[in-house]
Amino acid sequence: MLRDVMGKTFRLLGYTIQYGCIAHCAFEYLGGIVVCSGPSMEPTIQNSDIVFSENLSRHFYCIQKGDIVIAKSPNDPKSNICKRVIGLEGDKVCISSPSDFRKSHSYVPKGHVWLEGDNLRNSTDSRCYGPVPYGLIRGRICFKIWPPNDFGFLRASPNGHRFLDD
Amino acid sequence: MLRDVMGKTFRLLGYTIQYGCIAHCAFEYLGGIVVCSGPSMEPTIQNSDIVFSENLSRHFYCIQKGDIVIAKSPNDPKSNICKRVIGLEGDKVCISSPSDFRKSHSYVPKGHVWLEGDNLRNSTDSRCYGPVPYGLIRGRICFKIHSLLRGI
Repeated sequence: MLRDVMGKTFRLLGYTIQYGCIAHCAFEYLGGIVVCSGPSMEPTIQNSDIVFSENLSRHFYCIQKGDIVIAKSPNDPKSNICKRVIGLEGDKVCISSPSDFRKSHSYVPKGHVWLEGDNLRNSTDSRCYGPVPYGLIRGRICFKIWPPNDFGFLRASPNGHRFLDD
Repeated sequence: MLRDVMGKTFRLLGYTIQYGCIAHCAFEYLGGIVVCSGPSMEPTIQNSDIVFSENLSRHFYCIQKGDIVIAKSPNDPKSNICKRVIGLEGDKVCISSPSDFRKSHSYVPKGHVWLEGDNLRNSTDSRCYGPVPYGLIRGRICFKIHSLLRGI
């Protein structure tokens, strides 16, 4: 009797671990659904929007300028940030704050990206904590699922002036 | 005949994916064997040493000062680095190079660690690329395997 119960428990545990691992790898390598919070990506992504994030691009190193990515926060490894890629390694970016009279520029170092939120006035991003190492990127947001009236692919950046051409 | 072959192929593929995922999660959450290369951690870890890296500490955020960690390189996301943690967030570290006459100090920012190789003269580390975000850490090296075999 006890042996039956223990046998069933171990089998259940085995299946749980097995399918847990498969689900984890699916999220890690394919993609998953993400709930976004905060105002820093308005109007493109609002607070409590649900989006789909694909995680293949970052493994194949084909994240591009203009993509919206999810990354681990450089200041807090327990939380994630959702920002737009304004510059890749080697690109020239504008690093001065809006209140500065003179614009100052810098080049994104090797292995890093420059991230900014679409809501420039209410976003803590690379203008605050500097360029973010590429290794912190978790995935690329490609699709909004909720709210239904905004379903579909995400819009381009409303701040085109932040993308500097070489 | 064809159905049998296809059935066997899909079953094989299914098992491969299944056990591949389990192996990946074992490496990701428990630990794995790592081959180290380079001179930056001499004499503690020599070139081609084989070590065991446990990956639980970083998930539970209990990496401590003095631990040797493996992290993704801040300059090259495709490669890993193996250095010692000299300072955690908030700690004071010396950021001047050995040739400077006056020592200058700085505090490690929140969410970052300061890494240095044991072979200070031949190591590219935080003295070069600055504090490293905690999120880049992959695991903590706890065990050298190769030196155990050397004794046998």
